[in-house]
Amino acid sequence: MWLPALFLIVGLALGLLTNITIPDIYTNYLSIAVLAALDTLFGGVRAQLESKFDQKVFISGFFFNVSLAAFLAFLGVQLGIDLYLAAIFAFGVRLFQNIAIIRRILLDRYSKKANK
Amino acid sequence: MMSKIVNNNKLMIGLVCFIIGLMVAILFNTNKSPSERDTRDTWEIRTALLQEQKDQQTLYEEIENEEQILLEYHNKTEHQQINALKESIDQLKMEAGLTNKEGKGVVLTLEPLFLDNNYQEYPQLNAELLQHFINELNAFGAEDIAIGEQRIIDTTPIRDVNEEVYVNHTSISDLPIEIHILTDEPSQLMNHIDVSEVNDYFALEDIRINIEEKQSITVPMYEGSINLNDLDVVEVEEGEQ
Repeated sequence: MWLPALFLIVGLALGLLTNITIPDIYTNYLSIAVLAALDTLFGGVRAQLESKFDQKVFISGFFFNVSLAAFLAFLGVQLGIDLYLAAIFAFGVRLFQNIAIIRRILLDRYSKKANK
Repeated sequence: MMSKIVNNNKLMIGLVCFIIGLMVAILFNTNKSPSERDTRDTWEIRTALLQEQKDQQTLYEEIENEEQILLEYHNKTEHQQINALKESIDQLKMEAGLTNKEGKGVVLTLEPLFLDNNYQEYPQLNAELLQHFINELNAFGAEDIAIGEQRIIDTTPIRDVNEEVYVNHTSISDLPIEIHILTDEPSQLMNHIDVSEVNDYFALEDIRINIEEKQSITVPMYEGSINLNDLDVVEVEEGEQ
């Protein structure tokens, strides 16, 4: 449980300490990629809790979602349509759903434990 | 076997977390507005410091002056106080441009510049150019300016209305136009105008600036009333001295 958190902190620290920046025009892509990554992550956590976690699905989902989101944003810029909104909407809804399911599972477990 | 898979899974989630952390950090770095670097060298800083010190000195002098006046108010009898107040009012009126003012200065004439007599419209002044010019004059050290008969005060508007230039809500006449400028250093002002880019801007509009130095000119007073409806007095507590 602590390993992901540790990795998250290491990643944050590394990013902040190295002071990497990207050009302003690409921030859109990166922000949507972050959203996609978060979505995949919570999807993975949920699958883990439901004991149907599949590493291949997780890893492929992660990279596929991130690139698809970035591609959608790119396409949107080219066409003059705010397509990235579609990605934000989809990922946002799924994020909330996943977190809600995770919460329920955890609550269930907690109440079961308490009953015992 | 089972534990190894779980471990591996956690490692993968950890890896994804790591990537997310990295991306968030980069995004954070990028969105953070870069702090402006001070690229001035020692000399520039020194000059800036000197300027600030000068400003401070001037402010101190001003404070001293005001305190002197305050002291005078306090020390005088009622009659004298009224006199002192009247004096102050006159002084302020003069500063605000509500009195005629005389002194040495420069008379500028904006004249049409004819390059080709047959195929040229009569040149016209525009408010933007005039405004720019007034700003330049102020920067060059002009103290009081009058365009035609219109005295420029702090709140004077200069604008285009129906293709005519209005100063102080009054149309100024067509070219040529005389601009009276009071200044302590007429020759310096003239030199400034001579080399200023503003000549080129006027030339683009087919207008020429004619400069004449005068020992005594009079700028007329501002005739309207100064509207201070939108100004409020700020209550200031006695600050540190």
